Amino acid sequence: MGILSGFTRYLRLLGGLAVYTLNRELAFRGNFLVKVSVEVIWLGILIAFYRVVFARTSTVAGWNEPQYLFFVGCYFALNGLIEMLFLENCNEFAELVRTGDLDGLLLKPIDEQFLITCRRIDWGTAPNVLMGSIVMVVALVNAGWHPDPLRIATFLVTFACGTAIAYGFMLMLTSISVWMVRNQSLMEMWWLFSSLARYPKEIFSGPWGEPLGVFFTYCVPILVVVNVPANAMVRVLDGPMVALTITATVLLLWASRRFFQHALRSYRSASS
Amino acid sequence: MTPLETLETQDSAEAGSTALPPQHRYAKYLAIFRVSLAERMTYRGDFFLATIFRFLPMVTTILLWQAIYEGAGKMQSEMAGFRYRDMIAYLLLTHISRMFSSMPNLAGGIARDVREGTLKRYLLQPMDMIGYLLAYRVAHKAAYIVTSFIPYALLFFVCRGFFDGLPDPATLGAYAISLILAFLVGFFFEASVGMVGFWFLEVTSLLYIVMTVNFFISGQMLPLDLLPEPWAGLLKFLPFQYMAYFPAAVFLGKIQGTALWFYLLGELLWAVFFMVLARVLFRLGLRRYSAFGG
Repeated sequence: MGILSGFTRYLRLLGGLAVYTLNRELAFRGNFLVKVSVEVIWLGILIAFYRVVFARTSTVAGWNEPQYLFFVGCYFALNGLIEMLFLENCNEFAELVRTGDLDGLLLKPIDEQFLITCRRIDWGTAPNVLMGSIVMVVALVNAGWHPDPLRIATFLVTFACGTAIAYGFMLMLTSISVWMVRNQSLMEMWWLFSSLARYPKEIFSGPWGEPLGVFFTYCVPILVVVNVPANAMVRVLDGPMVALTITATVLLLWASRRFFQHALRSYRSASS
Repeated sequence: MTPLETLETQDSAEAGSTALPPQHRYAKYLAIFRVSLAERMTYRGDFFLATIFRFLPMVTTILLWQAIYEGAGKMQSEMAGFRYRDMIAYLLLTHISRMFSSMPNLAGGIARDVREGTLKRYLLQPMDMIGYLLAYRVAHKAAYIVTSFIPYALLFFVCRGFFDGLPDPATLGAYAISLILAFLVGFFFEASVGMVGFWFLEVTSLLYIVMTVNFFISGQMLPLDLLPEPWAGLLKFLPFQYMAYFPAAVFLGKIQGTALWFYLLGELLWAVFFMVLARVLFRLGLRRYSAFGG
């Protein structure tokens, strides 16, 4: 009962914060439109890149063009969700630590992790989820895909797990700023780190690529974030990989929370 | 005396004299360089972590292109004049190009100075704003190049198999010139974008669009030669190719003879064009500037 009421309380809070940030965003409609334009351009560039590539080859690491297009759409939607919910919040954490403004947030009677990582929703990146979904649908049509409830259910579950895994990694990266003080480049760091999730894991081949692929699948499982949902939908429904993704999600959410709390214990207020 | 106090003393001294010898006139920019270098090295942990992370996209890029060439069955042949080895070498070299031509926060900083009124600090002191920003940027680039020298040297050593060795001295000379000009094109291009802040208070959005488009059309994702015509030819006439594609292509010997001189001249002209543009926009902008802020 206590857990349920706590959950609904946080859900209500999240809803309130979402409405507040949406109103803020709509106060600067021009800026919102430009942000969306940038994302449209970026998606256009990604598609143009793969059009150029697939004009010269029929497969990349065993993925044909429609399958790869689905992968790109899945990455774009998942990354959009991460950016929308967490990236801006985590990016501000370093500045909160540096200036000591974190004190104010820590005093509030709400879970620190929730308040720090979920207090703002970046509605400017919300259309990415839609754009990524459109690309996925186009790819499925191009591939002549037939609806399969099991694949759809697995995709939805692993997509949610992928988002949670990415969030766990982002939270860990964010926590480091307590010790490094100025981790202002978190946005860039995240972009660099998440580049590992941007490609099919089959590209990790060869004498040094394969061990790297194994490392980033089983030890630091960033490779499963997009690969497993995309694979489940358009290629192989791999049971063990799905199980690994779900296990990794639980472990990483737990570990990242512990790490974040440990980081907060090391925080020394910079304010007077 | 701190470096800032030294700078202040030099400026005060210069303010009272209109005919200082050149070595004194440039001493203040040397001081800016020293202060900026010290500032850059303050947050070393953050800096080194970011440097390590910067190698991750290179790793995935190498693996992706390996998969593309294998998929096309062209591991032993060429794609638009690029063998697999050339492609990886090219993409590694674009990082060196960007090391010189990328200017993080330059345009945004200028626009912020205009918006918040802090630009007046350049107007009240006997210092040219563009000159100050240039010295500051040279310092940051120097710090970045020095601190990332070892990781980059290690990377290029590990990836030496993708290269056919060092090019001949003439090509190396042309490469060095192309990089210096890439820095100038990048600096004055971004400065020009920042000057737009005199007319539109918020340029961040414009900057995002420019940077996103630039990522593709400067050749950071793939060599421009892979694009179909007329796009490949068109993009080689624009200034953006000098910020990534051109220096890398020069190093690999893809551009030689008359074409090399032609494009080097083009790079110089674009650098001069943006230098003049930034200066003109600054002058015109100052007429509109109201020095808002405290």
